[in-house]
Amino acid sequence: MTCLSAASIGEDLQEQRELKKTRLYNWHTTQRANMANFGDYLMPLWYPSGVRNEHFAVLTSAGIFDTSHMAAIIVEGADAFDLLQRCFSKDLRTCVGKNRHALSPGKCVYGVFLKEEGDVIDDAIVYQLHRHLYMVVVNSGMGSELILHLAAHAGDGNVKLTDLSDRLGKMDIQGPLSARVLEKILEDPETVLSDLGYFTFRGHFEKRSLAAGSVRLQDGTPILLSRTGYTGEFGFEIFIQPDRFVDLWEMILNAGTDYEVKPCGLAARDSLRTGAGLPLSHQDIGPWPFIKNPWHFALPFNADQTVFTKHFIGDKALLKLNTPAGTYGFVGYDLRKVLIHDPAVVLTADGVQIGVVLTCVTDMGIDRVENRIYSVGSLDKPDDFKPRGLCCGFVKVNTKLNYGDPIVLKDQRREIKVVITNGIRPDRSARFPIKEMMSPGKH
Amino acid sequence: MKDIGELIFPADLQYTESHEWIRTEGESVKVGLSDYAQDQLGDVVFIELPEIGESISRGAEFGTVESVKAVSDLYMPVGGEIVAVNSTLEASPELVNKSPYTDGWMIEIRPANPDELDDLLNSNAYLEKLKG
Repeated sequence: MTCLSAASIGEDLQEQRELKKTRLYNWHTTQRANMANFGDYLMPLWYPSGVRNEHFAVLTSAGIFDTSHMAAIIVEGADAFDLLQRCFSKDLRTCVGKNRHALSPGKCVYGVFLKEEGDVIDDAIVYQLHRHLYMVVVNSGMGSELILHLAAHAGDGNVKLTDLSDRLGKMDIQGPLSARVLEKILEDPETVLSDLGYFTFRGHFEKRSLAAGSVRLQDGTPILLSRTGYTGEFGFEIFIQPDRFVDLWEMILNAGTDYEVKPCGLAARDSLRTGAGLPLSHQDIGPWPFIKNPWHFALPFNADQTVFTKHFIGDKALLKLNTPAGTYGFVGYDLRKVLIHDPAVVLTADGVQIGVVLTCVTDMGIDRVENRIYSVGSLDKPDDFKPRGLCCGFVKVNTKLNYGDPIVLKDQRREIKVVITNGIRPDRSARFPIKEMMSPGKH
Repeated sequence: MKDIGELIFPADLQYTESHEWIRTEGESVKVGLSDYAQDQLGDVVFIELPEIGESISRGAEFGTVESVKAVSDLYMPVGGEIVAVNSTLEASPELVNKSPYTDGWMIEIRPANPDELDDLLNSNAYLEKLKG
């Protein structure tokens, strides 16, 4: 056996001394997680119960992820809004909801930071904490780079930038039973949860913050609780002071015993986010213009999707780009993958090479029944539905494709037939009304 | 991930550097993947095996094993004819993780040249290779 993609695991362990660790590192290794290098951190790939069980836990009960390798930046001051409006891809005046409300304290929004040439620096969620105070959460190791970028564009404006990387604990609880688990550990959970809509948050992780009182654990610890995540399923991201981080992790696992809540590693996170159609930064989006991809919702289009409603760094490059090249989602007919580092290329049905494969994973919770894809989370799935999984991901090609177009993915081992799609895993729970996800009588 | 000390390498088997195990049963040998390999791969979700009756030479690929994170080739520890394949793995690939040395066996070979068996590693030598 030769392990092409797993081969890096052994090398990573030799580099261990140079890699960063989160506060949960000892917990992960005590639980005998398979660890790997991700964004300069030594992170769990999966735990002994296996990635398949972890993936299923998030689709049917709940799973928790250590995401404290991610970076957070505080953007503060009278000119903070102007700076973000200039640098971030969403229009903060119109980015909330179908009615296009402005971002306001307690709301957050997903978008990207671009260079002038339209290339992606990183994707991010921007949280508005107060009138002149924002938190920007980006990928691991990106805190200092984004601060440099923002500082370069801040000029002499009244903005203070603070890097909270490694000074904050962050974990995600994702899955349909997430709210029921949190009910067991929060103080006054009905008040905290019952109106917490998708992409809203409350509370704060610093005791001295005015908002800190609004979300507390039962032991009084303040947290910032956000109705967001990166799996496509219902759930939350939680920010907490690092010294309470491991306690919270164990508290959630204990509270979730009855619901079979599982700790989940990066492999399950990767297969879940791909099935949800979400990009991995620096793999599906990166040093090429952020346009003609499945993520136009991250751009400041007007309601008709025809023009941008603001100017921002990178907009001119995107608008003047005149190329048929683009990025598309795909889904296969069985679970077999190609390996992207092999490398894997994209062929038309006639065998003409048109691009490369950016991501190729198996979403183990879905399968085809006749001509339709069901998820284990689908309410109308067939009674005897036992998914074996489907290969899915993203391709970058030099020609225009349409949904339903067949393409072939080829690596050194095999060729697999897949189809271009605008949706991989159906019936995802991320946007389900929170009242339906809480215990009966708790809202 | 298991420490090497926790992994099991039965002393009555032989091993390859590419992590296959070999059990001699009379005139033929059974082949599977070692405990170390299954632990590194994680959940095995799919296995491609050869047809019964095929003859494949030593070191050539006889199939692939696909886990959630990796796709890996399987290599013939000795050349010979495939006389049986474990078709249970088609529906239950997880047996490679659960029982790598018993229910997770993959193919049975009738060696063309039994002398090739002498070149395989015993469990101690394999363990030493893993420790590097």
